[in-house]
Amino acid sequence: MKSTNGKLTRRGWLALCGAGIQAGTMHSLDARQVSQDSPAAAPSAPVAIAKVRSYEEDLAATFRTMFDQIGGLQRRVQGKTVALKVNLTGGNRFDGYTPGETHWVHPRIVAAVVTVLGGLGARRVRVLESAGGRRPGYRLEDKLLEGGWDLEAIRNAAPLVEFEDTNTIGSGKQYSTLKVKTKPYVFPAFCLNHSYEDCDFLISLGKAKNHEEMGVTMAIKNMFGVTPTALYGGRERIFHYGQTQAPSGAPAELDPQSNRYEGWRLPRILVDIIGARPVDLAINDAILSTCGGEGPWVLGAKPIRPGFLVAGWNVVNTDAVTMATMGYNPRAGRQEAPYRLYKGPGNHPPEQLTPAGENFQYADNMMLLAEAAGIGSADLSRIDVRGVPIHKAMFDFEAFWKNQMPKEQG
Amino acid sequence: METRSGAASRVVLLLLAPLPLFGGAPDAWIPARWTGGPLEVEYRAKAGNLPPDRDLRETIAGWYDPATLDLLQGSPVNCLLVTWSAGAGDAVESRQWNLVRAYTAAAHRRGIAVLGMVYRGAEPDRFVPPALEIRLDGLVLEGGFTDAVRSAMPGGQASLPVIAISRDPAISRAALAPLAAVEGEWPGSRSLAEMGIRAGPSSQPWICSNIWLVRSFRFTDAWRPVWVGYPPAPAARPNYSRSVADAAVAGGRWIVTLDDGLRIRLRRHDATALAAWTRIGDFLRFAEEHAEWRSFVPYGKLGVITDTAAPDDLASEYLKLLTRRQVPYRLVERSRLGETPFREFRALLAAGLAHLTETERRLLLGFAENGGLVVAGSALGAVPPGQPLLERTLGKGRTILYRDPDPETVARDMPEVLSLEEAGVIAFNVPSVITYASREPGGSRILVQLLNYSDTPARNITIRVSGHYHTARLFTPDSPAAVLAVGPGEGQSEVAIPSLGLWGGVLLEGKTP
Repeated sequence: MKSTNGKLTRRGWLALCGAGIQAGTMHSLDARQVSQDSPAAAPSAPVAIAKVRSYEEDLAATFRTMFDQIGGLQRRVQGKTVALKVNLTGGNRFDGYTPGETHWVHPRIVAAVVTVLGGLGARRVRVLESAGGRRPGYRLEDKLLEGGWDLEAIRNAAPLVEFEDTNTIGSGKQYSTLKVKTKPYVFPAFCLNHSYEDCDFLISLGKAKNHEEMGVTMAIKNMFGVTPTALYGGRERIFHYGQTQAPSGAPAELDPQSNRYEGWRLPRILVDIIGARPVDLAINDAILSTCGGEGPWVLGAKPIRPGFLVAGWNVVNTDAVTMATMGYNPRAGRQEAPYRLYKGPGNHPPEQLTPAGENFQYADNMMLLAEAAGIGSADLSRIDVRGVPIHKAMFDFEAFWKNQMPKEQG
Repeated sequence: METRSGAASRVVLLLLAPLPLFGGAPDAWIPARWTGGPLEVEYRAKAGNLPPDRDLRETIAGWYDPATLDLLQGSPVNCLLVTWSAGAGDAVESRQWNLVRAYTAAAHRRGIAVLGMVYRGAEPDRFVPPALEIRLDGLVLEGGFTDAVRSAMPGGQASLPVIAISRDPAISRAALAPLAAVEGEWPGSRSLAEMGIRAGPSSQPWICSNIWLVRSFRFTDAWRPVWVGYPPAPAARPNYSRSVADAAVAGGRWIVTLDDGLRIRLRRHDATALAAWTRIGDFLRFAEEHAEWRSFVPYGKLGVITDTAAPDDLASEYLKLLTRRQVPYRLVERSRLGETPFREFRALLAAGLAHLTETERRLLLGFAENGGLVVAGSALGAVPPGQPLLERTLGKGRTILYRDPDPETVARDMPEVLSLEEAGVIAFNVPSVITYASREPGGSRILVQLLNYSDTPARNITIRVSGHYHTARLFTPDSPAAVLAVGPGEGQSEVAIPSLGLWGGVLLEGKTP
């Protein structure tokens, strides 16, 4: 049973968990197909949901509970170097909001996770993101200060906290070449800042929100930012559109003649990235967020207050549960919400506005592609959801965006 | 029509027989546009902007009831700009002058200076003699006819300041007169989406500010008053306090201009209106209590080479946009480039100069070779075909050459290319704030003022300054001074400001040599 337009109602969710989703419209695709059927082989691990109304709440206590619900974190991080890939983007903001509230992961979330990691005995916590400033001496901390972060609160949350801008070679001697361990879609390997290799445990700390080109962004999409533009150049040209090939020294894409449409290409590259550097723990922040786009620069985007957190070991499972809690069908196809798109014509190359073989702009479902690659299941009926049930935490992004949200829910 | 040749006469102080100076010397005048009377009504009717509301019209007509002077009790405002001449008929101008005569006498008894506002179309031979006769403290011209006014002054009599509010800042800037007045714009901010513009991921709100305008008058260390005037507020709820601060941050004074609605409510002793008026007074008082800040000179390691003899549009655009991008700079007058002590700078911006003399080229290239950064157009060197700019090392320093520099691109790039040492000060998380850094002359204290152009408080601001400072205090009009923790760092100091309502000044002291 599938809901209309890819949206998931509470009743739909119950049916979906009980019976699984039957295949919807199948779209012929080159390479492997994006199948809305559920393969049995994809891994599944527990995912926890918490309802949290505000960043002022005791977030560290909330995370301790969530981590306990999914089986405990201590043995995985004690004495280890933990990398925390935080989700930042442009510093533009909605009136009255900081970027961290609506479209970056919130600094209090980061501080709370670092506090828990410190408390569990992590030897070192490295906060990572590609900040990318040109200013001589520019550091990741500068980007975080631009977002109004309290860096001291994060530094003091664990015995050893470091920050590294992974947009460059950083403090490493060379880039680490990480091969895609699953069967690659577009790239066989990536060159990344050493911090993604020199860590024992990687957390993807994403913001759950809509995205103009990908429909939705969470912990998988957060990993796109690991690619260093100091090496690859602008991400749009090489990854979104495939207008240029990888620079000398970086692994080349498998088939330069493959589809250049970003809605086809980028979801596959994202799966390649998490195949190259698997995520050990995925967390999605949806206490405050953005709907209608990934940030205020997308026309029609607006702030939203969903009030939940999701955490799980498997990034695909975690994003699937998050997506369902956002009111979407995690197995939605390219002509369903949120994957049927309306991209701004002024800021995309003309060929990106008219995908071959389709009547509408779209993005393929990156979770189904990851599931097909064997990274994790996007089938809710196969995921053990703990803490608050999905239907009790659900906040319908699409309805809110369209001003269709009942007042008591908005 | 104003001419550049008449620039030196923008403010005329005709030194004649001494008169008592009400409100102190002109540099102590805190001006308010206080227009009214029958002439004001007639002038506005002709201009087509007379309010239809009868009460409003009567309030304007009756503004020179001496009771309106009671509003000034306890207010720092000590200089009123009253309607004086508009080239109207004899009858109405005479009636106006009689009203102003009585009003001026009453104002003088309270120690308040009165200046006559003169609109375009007025005839100097008619309005100057009565101004001298009733002992106005000066004339303020809307529009440029200073020369004609000066001609109408009888030689060997009273001293009468004549202040022209110039639309072209270059004219006032070039006139090294003791008091400059210039037309500004209502300060505030708008999001690009409100303006129907699709913003980029790093876009910031569009800020209308006059801070750049006031500081553009500061070519030397000496302070002089700069008045900023603009018409009454177009907004439904104008933030007058912001206007006061917007002019005062860089040492200027806003010509306080109340909208008619507020004036009628003040006449009716409306509590909200009186509170707004009191708050204007609070901000004016804060500015005067920190008059020492005016003696601070602009701080920045970037020198912006400005040609005061060239058409102003381009120079103004650079100064405006650099200010909006929070780039601290100091002005270097092109004609004095050879005399400028370059050791005070780490970077020079000459992108606004389309042509360079051989001497200028030599000076700029020498600055770069000695370790500085020079940002210029292709007048300083060729940019390879197909490239918008060329960045290269030169000796111990570097140059950034733009093929076709435009102020927007250059201003956007400057915060990205200047290191902390080259910028001097970097402010973080200030999308709706304009910062202005200044330095104690001959000392090491640094003042970073911040003005928030949003109605929402600015939160979690960080200021990073090159050099080690021991203490930092935050001064605001709303609270007592607060001590801020100074974060250590290699060769730098950082202070965090948790929240900023509107205006604040961070004073950093105790620099380690």
